[in-house]
Amino acid sequence: MPTFPSVEWFDAVRREFNSDDTVRGGGGGTCDARIGVRVGDSTYLLVFEGFECASASEIGEADLETTDFYLDMPIEDWTDMLANISENGEADLDHTLNTIDLDSPDGFALSYTGDQYRQDLFFRYNQTFQYFFDLSSRIETDFPTT
Amino acid sequence: MTTDRPPRPSGRRRLVLDETVEVPEPNLAWKSRTLEWGVRAKPTKHGLRIGDLNVGIYGEIPDHWEEQTRMPRGAYPMPGVPPIGISLRSKRELWADNAADLYEEAIQRRWAPATDIPWHTIEPLPDDVEAAMCQLCTELSQAANVEFETIGSWLQHMSYGYHEVKLFLATEMFDAGRHHEAFRKRALSNGGGLGLESRGEVNRMILESKGGWSETSLLLHLLRGTFIMAVYRYGERYANNPAEKTLFGLAMQDKARHLAYGFQHLRYAVAHKDDKAMIFNQLLGIGERIFARELKEPALLEPMAIVFGGGIEGARVGMERVHRMMGDWARSYLSAAEWIGVPRDKALSADLAKYLED
Repeated sequence: MPTFPSVEWFDAVRREFNSDDTVRGGGGGTCDARIGVRVGDSTYLLVFEGFECASASEIGEADLETTDFYLDMPIEDWTDMLANISENGEADLDHTLNTIDLDSPDGFALSYTGDQYRQDLFFRYNQTFQYFFDLSSRIETDFPTT
Repeated sequence: MTTDRPPRPSGRRRLVLDETVEVPEPNLAWKSRTLEWGVRAKPTKHGLRIGDLNVGIYGEIPDHWEEQTRMPRGAYPMPGVPPIGISLRSKRELWADNAADLYEEAIQRRWAPATDIPWHTIEPLPDDVEAAMCQLCTELSQAANVEFETIGSWLQHMSYGYHEVKLFLATEMFDAGRHHEAFRKRALSNGGGLGLESRGEVNRMILESKGGWSETSLLLHLLRGTFIMAVYRYGERYANNPAEKTLFGLAMQDKARHLAYGFQHLRYAVAHKDDKAMIFNQLLGIGERIFARELKEPALLEPMAIVFGGGIEGARVGMERVHRMMGDWARSYLSAAEWIGVPRDKALSADLAKYLED
């Protein structure tokens, strides 16, 4: 059972995402973006290319400079979001990426470089990112005790 | 009942060839009329995209397009074709480097309101919430209608030398048609109906903007578009059911794409014409005042306060959320204006700047 957060966990979600044709329609589609994911002290890079999430890797904080935007919230909030997705099969009304971004005082989807145009990829490909995290409902996840 | 019609022939009709008719030999003169032959655009792992066709002369995008006909970029010009009065023939008047990619993105990410929205998840709502949601959807549906009519009125004036932009704007029209449809469907799907048709001063301002496409794009994308984006985002946040959640979320994604074209084009226009920033600043000053006046109409923000607050009783909390939405809008508007090269932070209309206060 992969632990969140870890490359193993993101790879497990990637496999679900890359093998599920349903995420390519209904507002989904090809997506080219480099997304950082910050969970506490850990930082990961997800690279989306075409229809796939091509890779997941652990990176240093300074590497966020290469991302279009990054998602950042405390481990407790990540756990809350993923537990909600696991329970419902997808994010409910209070746990979508957009909702979390609006509810976070400092924002959830952030830019490391201050480039608003690249940061706006969060909105342009929002359905794809939502599909990605919603598919984590199929992954039995071990959350570290805090 | 009987018929007197003769039986139909069972086989292929037989033509009688008149051997005396003179058939001219094909001269095939058209065959050599090409400016570049032997082109093989290569598909990538994304497929064969419109931008991938920009090879050789077909990828030469001139700063000014002299041709006054419908001749496609790279085609062999035919002398003697009467001009059709295309008025936008300079690249700076419509261009955005991202147009080809955004066109592909729009085609890829299309959705169908009939089947991609889980309409079955809509359940009866309290009357006040339903009425407010219907009023909001009436406004959004109308704004989308204005969007596709506005773009439609400009498309025919855009030169064929910049087909990437024409193609993208065709998708924006289609997206706007979809938004008009989808919000109308929401208004008519849960025991409510369409609400009030407001005076629509901003709609009129956009529709009647005739100074140039860039000026229209300024009002349509930067001023109105960023506001609609904020409404879609908060509509998703305070949705009453998964159907509304999906509807606002997918519309938000489309709107982000429209803004991406608008911002890139406006930035390009400012960078390639000396006084464009001054013109834009003047227009935004006028546009902001009209927008601020329209915001005072109860039919716009009040329904949102009721939706965001969960009913009339929660409207005070809802209005605080509307205020927060407007603050988010103002910040994104100012940030985009700065990015385009038209800083507005010191000039923003006081009626709008108030939303920046905590």
